[in-house]
Amino acid sequence: MWLPAWMRSARVLIGLAIVLLIGLAAVFAPLLAPHDPNEQNLIATLLPPAWLPGGEAEFPFGTDSLGRCVLSRLIYGARVAMAVAVVASFGAMLLGGVLAHVAGYFGGRVDWLIGRVVDVWMSFPPVILSLVLMVGLGTGLRNVILAIVLVDWTRFCRVLRSEVLVVRRRDYVTAARLVGFSHWRTITREVLPATVPLLITLVSLEMGIAVIVEAILSFVGMSVSADTPAWGQMIADARQYVYQSSWNLIFPILAIFITVFGFNLLGDGLRRTLDVRLTAVRT
Amino acid sequence: MSILIANELMVSAKLGGDLVPVLRDFSLTLEPGRVVGLVGESGAGKSMVGRTIAQMLPPGFAVTGGRLLFGGRDLVRMPPDKRRALLGREIAFIPQEPLSALNPVLTIGQQLDEHLRRLGLATPRERRARALDLLETVHLPRGASLLRQYPHQISGGMCQRVLIAIAFASRPRLVIADEPTTALDVTIQARIVRLIAEMQERDGTAVLFITHDLRLAGQICDQILVLYAGRPAEYGPARAVLTAPAHPYSRCLQLANPPMSGARRALASLPERMPGLAAYKDITGCAFAPRCPNAVPDCTRGAPPFVDVAPGHTAACIRTAATQAIAAPALAAAAETAAGAPVLEVSALCKNFLVGGMFSRSTFAAVRDVSFVLGANEFLGVVGESGSGKTTLARLLVGLEQPSGGTIKLTGQKVVHNLVAGQSAHDAQLIFQDPQSALNPRRRVGGIVTQSLEATGIASREERLARARSLLAEIGLPPETVTRFPSQLSGGQRQRVNIARALCATPKILIADEIVSGLDVSVQAQLLNLLIGLRKQRAFSMVFISHDLSVVRYLCDRVLVMFRGEVVEAGPTERLFAAPAHPYTRALLSAVPPDDPAGAWTPARFEPDGARL
Repeated sequence: MWLPAWMRSARVLIGLAIVLLIGLAAVFAPLLAPHDPNEQNLIATLLPPAWLPGGEAEFPFGTDSLGRCVLSRLIYGARVAMAVAVVASFGAMLLGGVLAHVAGYFGGRVDWLIGRVVDVWMSFPPVILSLVLMVGLGTGLRNVILAIVLVDWTRFCRVLRSEVLVVRRRDYVTAARLVGFSHWRTITREVLPATVPLLITLVSLEMGIAVIVEAILSFVGMSVSADTPAWGQMIADARQYVYQSSWNLIFPILAIFITVFGFNLLGDGLRRTLDVRLTAVRT
Repeated sequence: MSILIANELMVSAKLGGDLVPVLRDFSLTLEPGRVVGLVGESGAGKSMVGRTIAQMLPPGFAVTGGRLLFGGRDLVRMPPDKRRALLGREIAFIPQEPLSALNPVLTIGQQLDEHLRRLGLATPRERRARALDLLETVHLPRGASLLRQYPHQISGGMCQRVLIAIAFASRPRLVIADEPTTALDVTIQARIVRLIAEMQERDGTAVLFITHDLRLAGQICDQILVLYAGRPAEYGPARAVLTAPAHPYSRCLQLANPPMSGARRALASLPERMPGLAAYKDITGCAFAPRCPNAVPDCTRGAPPFVDVAPGHTAACIRTAATQAIAAPALAAAAETAAGAPVLEVSALCKNFLVGGMFSRSTFAAVRDVSFVLGANEFLGVVGESGSGKTTLARLLVGLEQPSGGTIKLTGQKVVHNLVAGQSAHDAQLIFQDPQSALNPRRRVGGIVTQSLEATGIASREERLARARSLLAEIGLPPETVTRFPSQLSGGQRQRVNIARALCATPKILIADEIVSGLDVSVQAQLLNLLIGLRKQRAFSMVFISHDLSVVRYLCDRVLVMFRGEVVEAGPTERLFAAPAHPYTRALLSAVPPDDPAGAWTPARFEPDGARL
């Protein structure tokens, strides 16, 4: 059976499998989680995982300092992580991508202006910028997403603009203008199809970055409210009891690590198979 | 003793698991002081020969039979370090792209110095003296300052001279020149070829001259070997191969080349094209048989043997006697230029570009005071060397550039083409030089050719498909091409699609910018004949920009000669080619190798300020 190149890449398949697994866990969290993530059980605090001495089968990954089920909190935490990853990276792509196409296609003063805005924007340290934004916007899932979009759109803008510049110089873009295509049609029908592979790759990499940024923000308590479980929050909670129960710290870190690894693997695989400059070498 | 002997050499490549011979039955003897031309179209395996001698074959390619001897030593079985010692010393190369063959971050002096050090010149003083000496032998003036310059600061012709100096520095016994003039202008080509001949005569070097230009090979080679699909088709003395070709392919190549002198004749256009590497394993019998006008059923039974037609002149054909009978088709009566109002009037057109950085701005006049009129159904040729403003003129005519001065009138109305403002000039369409870049690789052919319908947005899917089919039929492509992607087409087919897209807008004028320059002779002939046919069916005028004078002579009614942005001469084709008035036109015309290999090739020079090389 014939499959497109990206479906035959091991990187893509493994990355996709990891991402899908975590995505499904997030969607079906109420069905999968053994406990309510906020249900406290004060007589069973800081339990180790079930396979260690002192562990209980009821709490497979143990409990935290308030006796909440770590596994359930991890599963529910995936909801915040995945929501932020998907929505924020698409938002950043939309904002950065549109500006990149406008700048690269029209060039001249428009390009200069957008380029300078990106320069100024990128000279702020990203973590500080997102913290400042969160302080201004207030906590909550929607504001986390907004903050990440506002910080990371520049990444898309910069990389895509140079790609648009290359495509713009191809004769077929000029030819489309000569037969009477409008600018809008030229961009959507001639330029965009050539930049989409890069766009997809950047989005999948950005998803991994968004997961990390969300974890950082929730670690410092600037993300979702305390009653919504988030991986960064779990790390922050576990930090105080790291000597009594290191497992509480290790599980959310592993969750972040695996998720980001999955996104990066997917992005790298897509880049290798979709990027014409890399695939053309085979001929 | 012979310098190079190839005896039934075979090179094979691994393609999809099979070992396919890509060079077969290649036999050649190169004597000292001789020039052998290796002629063929792209993909014939010309460069493979050079690569085999250097043992720089691409991965998956290997010599699988026969012998290759250099001065009696076996080049194929020689240990790599011994061979490396030969390369650059006894065997030297002159590459096709002079600019990419020199390292852009090193000065000419450093690169010469490096090579001379490798040749064993110990002291820097010695090497410098020798480098200056070498630059003098290749007629490069002001050697001392040239040594300090970088490749991008000098012209392509000068770069090629430097490379020739490097190649001949070690007084090699064999020089392999792989299309050394293809990337250069015609007037420079003449001088470079003359220089190679001069150096070769001085040292008694044997030269393997790889080229696609049969006329050029006829002028400078002692013997010519014509390659077709990896197998020699004909091998013999240059004059005999050109005047009395024994293989139908050589004959057809010759007939497909527009003549520079004598009566205009129609071009023989071979059907189809040469089989690609992937198709080699399916060839039974003569690889040329499917395209050969003389083919008989016997041709497909086994590879044709090499037949001696004269002493030292062999051809791989079973019907050599019939070759001379192949004739070009009769010249169709030229379409009349319709009388009446001109379609295009250009007067005093100028275009200046700003060059330089922030502090030292200056203007460069790419097009200066160009005026001409184009009648209905008239084909106007624009010739000139690179940098003469031809392409800028084309871009001005279709509105991709704004004129700095002067006017363009299209069908009597003064037009301010301005694509930036959203107005486009439907009546003037541009056909691009590079069909690869001009076709969106992600769209199907059917969508590409009907782009102008898509732009208006009123045609339905069915209408567009029907239009695409009729356009493809008009330009000679099968209807199933509609669903193909450009990457699935050959270069010639892509250029046809390019033409079809321009025609879909039913323009009054086509502007063709070097549309046949990247194509092989036989494909070029097909396209030229197509344009002549289209001109009869549809009434359109054309501005045909080309550096190839023979093509312009074949196709155009009138010619403009451009030099540094100015029109130096204009006139009817016949008159201009027969009696050029301007010295630059004379220089251009004399730089083209004559049709007759015995004819004198005496390129004239035109250097208004003495600085051009």
